Amino acid sequence: MSYGSTVAVDSVDLEVWAGEIFGLLGPNGAGKTSALSAIEGLLRPDAGSIMVGDVDARSHPLEAKAQMGVQLQSTSFHADLTILEIVRLYAGLYGVKLSESQLRERLSGIHLQDEGSKRFRELSGGQQQRLSLMISTIHDPPLALLDEPTAGLDPQSRRQLWDRIEGFRKEGHSILLTTHSMEEAQAVCDRVAIMDHGKILAVDTPAALITLHRDDPRVRKVAHGDVTLEDVFIGLTGRELRD
Amino acid sequence: MTDDVPATVRPRAIAISSWTSLKVLLRADAAVQMRNKRSIVLSSALPLIQLYALFAVKRSTLFGDPRLRVALCITLGVITLGVLGYSMAVARDREHGVFQRLRVTPAPTWTIMCSRLAVQVAAMLVMAIVVLVAAYAIGGVALSLGGYVLTLVAVLLGAGVFLSIGQAVAGLIRSADTLNATGRFILLPLIGLSLFGHSDVLGTTVEYISRWSPGGAFSSLLAGAMNPSTWSGETWAAFLASLAYTAVFAGAGIRWFRWTAR
Repeated sequence: MSYGSTVAVDSVDLEVWAGEIFGLLGPNGAGKTSALSAIEGLLRPDAGSIMVGDVDARSHPLEAKAQMGVQLQSTSFHADLTILEIVRLYAGLYGVKLSESQLRERLSGIHLQDEGSKRFRELSGGQQQRLSLMISTIHDPPLALLDEPTAGLDPQSRRQLWDRIEGFRKEGHSILLTTHSMEEAQAVCDRVAIMDHGKILAVDTPAALITLHRDDPRVRKVAHGDVTLEDVFIGLTGRELRD
Repeated sequence: MTDDVPATVRPRAIAISSWTSLKVLLRADAAVQMRNKRSIVLSSALPLIQLYALFAVKRSTLFGDPRLRVALCITLGVITLGVLGYSMAVARDREHGVFQRLRVTPAPTWTIMCSRLAVQVAAMLVMAIVVLVAAYAIGGVALSLGGYVLTLVAVLLGAGVFLSIGQAVAGLIRSADTLNATGRFILLPLIGLSLFGHSDVLGTTVEYISRWSPGGAFSSLLAGAMNPSTWSGETWAAFLASLAYTAVFAGAGIRWFRWTAR
């Protein structure tokens, strides 16, 4: 996938298994969001195939989108709709019929039962993320794509969102998420892929990646004491700043 | 941890029909429109003020017969709603990522845009009805039943012209702030030209250009629709010109439209 002459995602081959949380890690501009956008159907790849379950996302995009729940990096909903109306809208777009009491029950499940008549912008960051995750999974999709779901959240909200993501996994769903937080990747992800310059550099469980790269001189050079996932990440992707 | 099983074991969710998507989106877009009361009032207020001015001033006959003056007021409302109201709403939602959020759902992309357009068309029809009622009350302008029906059909065509101009503007200019400024800049000549299409106060060249501008052609069409007995070859030409403007601007709007502001 490319933007003009810049190749954003190059020969990426990934498989997310049923009931796993898969983390896509990479510095800014590594191609994470572009890769996710291709799966979501927002960008058209130059070549290759994307399968969601047994649905070919390139030839049957709408059917593939019905199998996915998506939380974008910067989510915004209609500014003039109330929270209840937003939930009703997205439930309708996924063909989920919810009665008024079921709608309120869903909001209650994310502790927003008293916020139904508010606008999205009136919610706090944590509330917005909880609502966004709930809407992304309102149709009980086999696969959830979460682009930096905990960015900008305080530690309490972040832990709560981890619990929700893990709860979703326990129900048998698969989750593909991107994150800049190595702590998050290590805490919640079953497997991670480290990506840079549009290519996948390594894929494995966080523990296996640490073991595998523990003696890599690039990793040893940046490690402070015990090697962590962050050391492996910096070692493989380099220390220079990315914008 | 995980089982090494590809993610195909859950029952498959089914994408809903395009019609259902459109219905759900229409309900949301209509709610947004109804909630934006200031915009509703302003879209009718401007043509009503113009209507009052065109019937109250001494030399109002310079602007043509009463039906033409009503047509000019409806034209003003349709231009404002289409070029400024619609394109601004699109640019704002695009900048906030509302479209991207909708595009990751199974709703076909054409339903996202058609729902918005349909709500704007409904707003234009309401505005036209308000102006027609006010024209009867202020200037005693009454039309035949056929005249009223044809007028509303003509408003639909005008909606096509100016919403497609709005779409082209939103396609060419991505930033909401730039579009706001440019929209106002475009609005002035569009409205100005529509006013002088049937008056030679600024000379016959301006009159000719005005008559075949998007606003001029539309007001000619409206005036013909209001009085079907006067429908002439020139009204047909205005009809064809309006169709051509719609085709050209809609083509540009679709060709250059981007779903994201970046």
